[in-house]
Amino acid sequence: MSEILLQIKNIRKWFNSQEKELMVIDGVSFDVREGEFISILGPSGCGKTTLLRIIAGLEKQDEGEILLRGKSITGPGQDRSMVFQDYALFPWRTVLGNVLFGLEIRKIPKVEALEKAKKFIKLVGLEGFENSYPHELSGGMRQRVAIARALVCEPEILLMDEPLSALDAQTRNVMQSELVRIWQETRKTIIYVTHNIEEAVYLADRIAVLSRRPAKLLDLVEVELERPRNRFSKEFIELRARIFNLIQG
Amino acid sequence: MRVKDFFIFFFSIGIFLVLWEAYYWIFISNPFVLAPPSKVIVTFIQLTLGDPKFADSGFQMLTDMAYSIYHYALGFASAILVGFSIGLIAGWSKTVEKLIYPIVELIRPIPPIAWIPIAILLLKLTHTAAAFIIFIGAVFPILLNTMYGVSSVEKKYVEAALTLGATKTSTMLRKVIIPASMPAFFNGLRVGSGVAWMCVVAAELFGVSQFGLGYKIQLARLYHSPDVVISYMLAIGIIGLILDRIYRLAEDRLLSWRRGFVVE
Repeated sequence: MSEILLQIKNIRKWFNSQEKELMVIDGVSFDVREGEFISILGPSGCGKTTLLRIIAGLEKQDEGEILLRGKSITGPGQDRSMVFQDYALFPWRTVLGNVLFGLEIRKIPKVEALEKAKKFIKLVGLEGFENSYPHELSGGMRQRVAIARALVCEPEILLMDEPLSALDAQTRNVMQSELVRIWQETRKTIIYVTHNIEEAVYLADRIAVLSRRPAKLLDLVEVELERPRNRFSKEFIELRARIFNLIQG
Repeated sequence: MRVKDFFIFFFSIGIFLVLWEAYYWIFISNPFVLAPPSKVIVTFIQLTLGDPKFADSGFQMLTDMAYSIYHYALGFASAILVGFSIGLIAGWSKTVEKLIYPIVELIRPIPPIAWIPIAILLLKLTHTAAAFIIFIGAVFPILLNTMYGVSSVEKKYVEAALTLGATKTSTMLRKVIIPASMPAFFNGLRVGSGVAWMCVVAAELFGVSQFGLGYKIQLARLYHSPDVVISYMLAIGIIGLILDRIYRLAEDRLLSWRRGFVVE
């Protein structure tokens, strides 16, 4: 069993933090192991994105704590990169410029940074598009840039917030297998938020299934299917059904 | 299409010149009151070439252009410096915005021309006084546009930068806020430049400085030379047009990433 990288301990969050009105997350706890692909799955508006944003340090929990290698998370840090649902690419930078962003901030020497950026652009399959601007790319390509931009910083954890939900079904399937390939090549720890059961079962080693708001952890499901996974196999469909029933309660 | 546009362009100017020429000869016919375009063109060329007929009494087009551009550059550069810095800080910090808002809103409606007496009392008849009027005219469009640009930078860019490690405010400003607000800044720059160029004429008209296009317009009126007045007016128009084109060109080059950009 690999080491525990991240501990999420009894997180509580209210929509209105001062008045403690409208609970969004109700005491969620689980561990994330090093190198695993873990998915946070839950119905729309259940607070799963909020949980991811707390892990990223973009929001603060009201109760509980999150430990990364035993150290409490208090804000955004270079050890966690995030991929957003709407890509959030910098429109004034080219593909290469976007990927270079994190390296410039880390003050990596130019030659080395360029080499690294090109390596990750190649990893996500965008060779030849280095000088294109985001508005010139399709949705799938933009999300590839966002993934390269986050991975090039070599964070401990890659946080992904419904990154494929804006794509059409076919592109989404392609991107899912691409994501598995990239994960296998880089061996990054990935926390992947989604509301799509099939996506979670296809991608993840484990799935943290959350309830409707306020989000509670319903179950931590181990997905013991061989990769590459077959979406139409009996085991795959059975697991989907099990998780579906779990959420429906 | 191109050829047609070209034709319409010259046709339109041609009609205007013919009407003007006809109006002069039919209704005016007095060189001390108005000049026809045929005369203005000759005077304009003589002024530009430094013909002694005009140069001896101090009318030298190129020298006056240089002085006007000098006033403009001095005033406009300070307006950019001040407008951009304050706009950046006020756009970034709500407290600063609230702090400067009343001052800006109080001073902004005062026409730059109304500042001329104070400029003369404070700075005497100097180039600095002319630049000051230009500064007043240009600083607010630049400041307000920059402020608007900074405060409307989408949150997702800031958050993306945060998760990529840009946790220092200075880095965030340099790498995200400033580039993201450049389109709004350039908008302010062009509007500000237009106002600044108009202020050049206003400032010089009042004799804030003894040189410049605006001052010579006024002087030529005293000499009853409408051909000279109109020549200088023409020069003001041409330079204003060129300045606007320069900013448009710079904008197109520097903000090429906006080409075909659709707001999602």
